Amino acid sequence: MAPSLLHPPSQLSPAAALELSQQAPALLQSSPSTVSSSPLGAIFSASESPELWIKYENLLLSCLRTGDDLAAQQCLERLAARFGEDNERIMAFRGLVKEADAQHPGKLEAVLKDYEEILKENDTNIPITKRRVALLRSMGRVSEAVSALVQLLDFSPTDAEGWSELADLYLSQGMYPQAIYALEEVVILAPNAWNIHARLGEMQYMAATASGAGGSSYQKHMAESLKRFSRSIELCDDYLRGYYGLKLVTARLLKESGKPAKQNDEGGLRLPDTSTIERLNELATAKLSEIVRHSTAGDRGWRGYDEVEVAAARELLSEDASAASRIER
Amino acid sequence: MSVEREFQIAPIVQEAVVHNSRTLLNLQSLTASLFGVGAGILGLESYSGFLFYLVCSLLTAMLFYVVRVAPTSLASGTGTGGGGAFDTSRYFRSQVEFWTGGLMNGLAGFILTWTLFYGLVRA
Amino acid sequence: MAQVPVQTIHRDPQLFYWILLPITAVMILTGVLRHYATVLMASAPKKLDQKTTREQRALLRGINVRGNFHTLAKPSFDVRRDALTTAYESGAYLKSPENRGQAPPNPLSDPSSMEGMMGMMKNQMAMIIPNTLIMSWINAFFSGYVIMKLPFPLTIKFKSMLQAGVATKDMDPRWMSSISWYFLCIFGLQSVFNFLLGSDNAASQMAQQMGGMAPNAGQMFGPGVDPDKQFLAEAENLAVIEHYSVLDGVEQRLLEGIKV
Repeated sequence: MAPSLLHPPSQLSPAAALELSQQAPALLQSSPSTVSSSPLGAIFSASESPELWIKYENLLLSCLRTGDDLAAQQCLERLAARFGEDNERIMAFRGLVKEADAQHPGKLEAVLKDYEEILKENDTNIPITKRRVALLRSMGRVSEAVSALVQLLDFSPTDAEGWSELADLYLSQGMYPQAIYALEEVVILAPNAWNIHARLGEMQYMAATASGAGGSSYQKHMAESLKRFSRSIELCDDYLRGYYGLKLVTARLLKESGKPAKQNDEGGLRLPDTSTIERLNELATAKLSEIVRHSTAGDRGWRGYDEVEVAAARELLSEDASAASRIER
Repeated sequence: MSVEREFQIAPIVQEAVVHNSRTLLNLQSLTASLFGVGAGILGLESYSGFLFYLVCSLLTAMLFYVVRVAPTSLASGTGTGGGGAFDTSRYFRSQVEFWTGGLMNGLAGFILTWTLFYGLVRA
Repeated sequence: MAQVPVQTIHRDPQLFYWILLPITAVMILTGVLRHYATVLMASAPKKLDQKTTREQRALLRGINVRGNFHTLAKPSFDVRRDALTTAYESGAYLKSPENRGQAPPNPLSDPSSMEGMMGMMKNQMAMIIPNTLIMSWINAFFSGYVIMKLPFPLTIKFKSMLQAGVATKDMDPRWMSSISWYFLCIFGLQSVFNFLLGSDNAASQMAQQMGGMAPNAGQMFGPGVDPDKQFLAEAENLAVIEHYSVLDGVEQRLLEGIKV
């Protein structure tokens, strides 16, 4: 899939981001330099479309990533001319550009001060609050970032972006139960998001491995991890990460199946029996190898998988195969 | 298993449903207006005019089914939930809406253009 | 069987150019104008302070948990249910806890609620004013003309509606006056607006009338609603949920459903 300026560029590879930012001169030249924000002016000037502004925003982000600060500045000026300096999104973008321009940590401190000033005036400015959290995180002050984010989520608990960032922050600190709780909030807000289900499965798996096989919560985490991956695949039956995780979990469970599994029935989820786990493992292996085969060959309808993820899947499969051949020998 | 649970397990994306029915509605109201032009120019009166409209809108639904719905529905095999060859459940929630919805949606537009062109041509 | 002779009326062809076309053109242009007027008059959503946002979103969160409880495992759901019901019942999310139990303020005295009503008034006005103007314009200029013949027969009851202003007793009700063409336009131009302005346009009056009848989503946090009562009701709703999860038996469904 070719990178498009209509989608936010956060997931793009560096090469794709570079390609996008190289479109900057052409786009900046072809579009009118100012669009008036007054309704009267809008009637007489050239027509505008929401797509144009989405393009400007995404171009701004791509340009910042590739270091084209001049073009980024230009995008920002145009956005500001249209929507006004006191628009919350524009304020956040301006802060972002300043952060990118900052040469040394002292400048970043100044930007942080600015954010705090803005928030003192208007404490419901969500874009700026999020920028502040991101800045705190990139400056390594994670605990402050967490507390700022928790404060944001206290008055706006329906913000999926905030919850997933919080989950990521907790995960980076190894606080699995908190991370899982935050991600479950995202699942509540977006019940059909298969990527979030798979991510939750990954977190449960990490929590299980961290607590060790003997721990009492191990079974619970493994069971939920298995089910989350299964649900993710049920929602999107081509999702590579879902199959990868399913294979990982089932392989681990099968390896340990010799041990007596003591299941506690405290209302939690229960692990399925061994034959089901085996069949799930076979299913995941078959589907993964199919994806890897087609994707490597570049077949029609199988493109669009992340190369890194496909490579990881291939590695997992080959590890599995070598282990199997060792046993046979 | 209750219907509600089934929808929770296999969710239906509301936006897609809205988009599909909006496409259908657009087609229906456009064709209804055009049929009105046709009926007016042909100078059809009373029952024959309404019959013309009925036949034409059913024909449109049929063509829409054959050209747009049937190929993917029948190929995937998942959409055939008991309706046999004329099953539209892959794209539309209600069969009745698909086949006869056009009759109601386009009627006002049909009468408007029918009257206009009948008046222009005949009277 | 006596055959009723078909009435023919000779009309000036100029009637088309001077009545039919102007009415149609004016109707279409008014629809377009109404659409853009509504777009321009739409007031930006009002800024809420942090406490109000918190109150509203806390309630929304409860509604979300209630709606999507099936994505959670039972322990996680129970934790949330307990936390939310306790907080709701103790009034922790209320904007002004000290006002708890008092009657809500009169919606008419609250300036913030006036704004919402003004918005509704504006929409209503954008619909009523042009219609009244056009109708009186048609009545003043074009009343008394017979301009067209419907292609289908009607019963005698329609005569008073279609031939308003034409006092001829024996005329076939199929003949229609300019005001009936106007009514026909109101109903029939929906599809035209659909193409001109996109399907969620504000020109189609029918859609607006329908929208007026359905309960408004913004009404939930509207003036005159006691948030404390809403919270208590939501706590009750959460308490009665019989939990099940989509994660139950998902492996089995997967093994049955997915073929490689």
